[in-house]
Amino acid sequence: MHWIEGIVQGILLGGLYAQYALGMALMFGVMKIVNVTHGDLVILLALIGISLADLAGIGPWSVLATLVPIGAAIGWLLQRAMLNRVVGNDPLPSLIATFGLSIALQNAMLVVWSANTRSLPGGGIQQASVEIGPLFVGVLPLIVLICATLLTGGLDAVLRFTRYGRSLRAASADVEAAAMVGVNPKAVYATATAIAVGILGFAATFQAMRSTVAPADGPFQLIYAFEAVIIGGLGSVWGAFTGAMILGVSQAIGFRINPGFGILAGHVVFLAVLAIRPQGIFQRKS
Amino acid sequence: MSYRVERMTLSGRIALVVGALALCTIVSMPWWASQGLIRDVITLACFIAVAQMWNMLAGYGGLVSVGQQAFVGVAAYAMFVMAQTWGINPFVAVGLSLIAPGLLAVPIYLLLHRLEGPYFAIGTWVVAEALRLVATNMPLVNGGAGMSLRVMTQFSAHERAIAGSFLAALLLLVTVGGSYLLLRSRYGIALTAMRDNPVAARSQGVDVQRLRFLIFVAAAIGTGFAGAVYFMVQLRITPPSAFSMEWANLAIFIVMVGGIGSIEGVLIGAVIYFFADRWFGEYGASYLIVLGLLTLTTALFFREGLWGLWRRTIDAPWFPTRRTLIRVEGDAS
Repeated sequence: MHWIEGIVQGILLGGLYAQYALGMALMFGVMKIVNVTHGDLVILLALIGISLADLAGIGPWSVLATLVPIGAAIGWLLQRAMLNRVVGNDPLPSLIATFGLSIALQNAMLVVWSANTRSLPGGGIQQASVEIGPLFVGVLPLIVLICATLLTGGLDAVLRFTRYGRSLRAASADVEAAAMVGVNPKAVYATATAIAVGILGFAATFQAMRSTVAPADGPFQLIYAFEAVIIGGLGSVWGAFTGAMILGVSQAIGFRINPGFGILAGHVVFLAVLAIRPQGIFQRKS
Repeated sequence: MSYRVERMTLSGRIALVVGALALCTIVSMPWWASQGLIRDVITLACFIAVAQMWNMLAGYGGLVSVGQQAFVGVAAYAMFVMAQTWGINPFVAVGLSLIAPGLLAVPIYLLLHRLEGPYFAIGTWVVAEALRLVATNMPLVNGGAGMSLRVMTQFSAHERAIAGSFLAALLLLVTVGGSYLLLRSRYGIALTAMRDNPVAARSQGVDVQRLRFLIFVAAAIGTGFAGAVYFMVQLRITPPSAFSMEWANLAIFIVMVGGIGSIEGVLIGAVIYFFADRWFGEYGASYLIVLGLLTLTTALFFREGLWGLWRRTIDAPWFPTRRTLIRVEGDAS
């Protein structure tokens, strides 16, 4: 019973990690770049949301509805102003540029919001739980998981069936060939980053409601997103989703073995997957 | 008609003399310099060493790492355990501790080299984080509370200054001098070819995978050396300080601002970082914002860094590795 509960908690935690991981999988899939500020943007959006809730007196769902477009705008701007200059075969410029931005962003948040941990009041939803069989499951984590599933399914459908999805897949397969048949790679990239950071608007709201956020937390979220993507296998959004579940379960079980071992268990599973199945557990055959 | 290959330049000869004099000055410090100055010079030497090792990785090996603090921490902890727990002479322990990062680098590389470019970088970060958590939970190294190097009290301040200065000079000789020798050798040509285009280098017979592996292990040992010396002088170590992101941050800043793919750039960048840290460090967050934005700007607009800008005006390398073909005049054949 103890362990089943751990697994259920892990899957619910995985719902949050999936929301971090989707955007990273999308950006790497299309541009072969990693945005080191990925985690810092979660924290930035969460802090903006908390301040909004505080100043405007709005509830968590209105915060969510505001943060998603703000995130998309930030993502679009980030790509247009900066990342479009560093997309290319050499991984160094994009990594170093976003690494520098990450340091600047973390410290800018420290100046604006101080080092205090904050959270978003949820109007009682944090305490609510439902009884499923023999287990009590929190309503909020359940909403997070459902949201993550819908986001993954939605993103997958966009990539498969829409005109934009086709141009994005074309740009990721061969930029030059795609440009020849009328795809504007810079516009496709900007939209991809806007979607990726927009999804972080969900992640930020839920992260701030479920636990706390502080300016220095970003690197951890980046690492969780990365581990989920690698465990699941590159190349598919459902891979990132499954990887996030595995990471969540590993951490939850690790915590039950020893509280000091929780996060480390996630790292260990990540390294084990890299050793045994470097293509990831659910790599789609090409 | 015959030709000869010339590598050394006048500026290179002057730099060699200046370098040798600088190393001798560092070794002689305990007899004339203040404790504070000695400490500063050792810190600067550690910055230069860590940055130069990152430069070899990213600038030549094409391996961008943001987890070099893994090797700083592992070597420093190995040194503390050997000296404090096992009672080995601390100065001998600094040398022995280099086995730890060297051994650890092998499995880390074998695991991570499967990841593509930017994912390799984040992978090194995960490894450093995992090692920090291991150190935090490990009774042998006193967990999160950290360790103190109390055995150092058996030596006088003067003796410690002699050892510290000597180790700092040796550190510079091994990391900077070693890199220079390597770049001048046959391997240097292979490395430069690899830096400019890995695919073309492979087609010319350079074993890129093997060379990358060797660079990764060598950089781990060099970085570990800096870590062991740095924390020997600090006398105290904790998991957050040993595995601090600050190490990756400073290496990246120094190399990018100074000029990637050149030893001169590392020296310039390290001096700038050292004094910036000294003068503006008190501004805390605002200072780090500027530092981060400078790294960002360099990566976007000045990829060759300060040394690259300087070299456009005056082409006088301190560490020449370029081979120039000179026609020997008066040869009648």
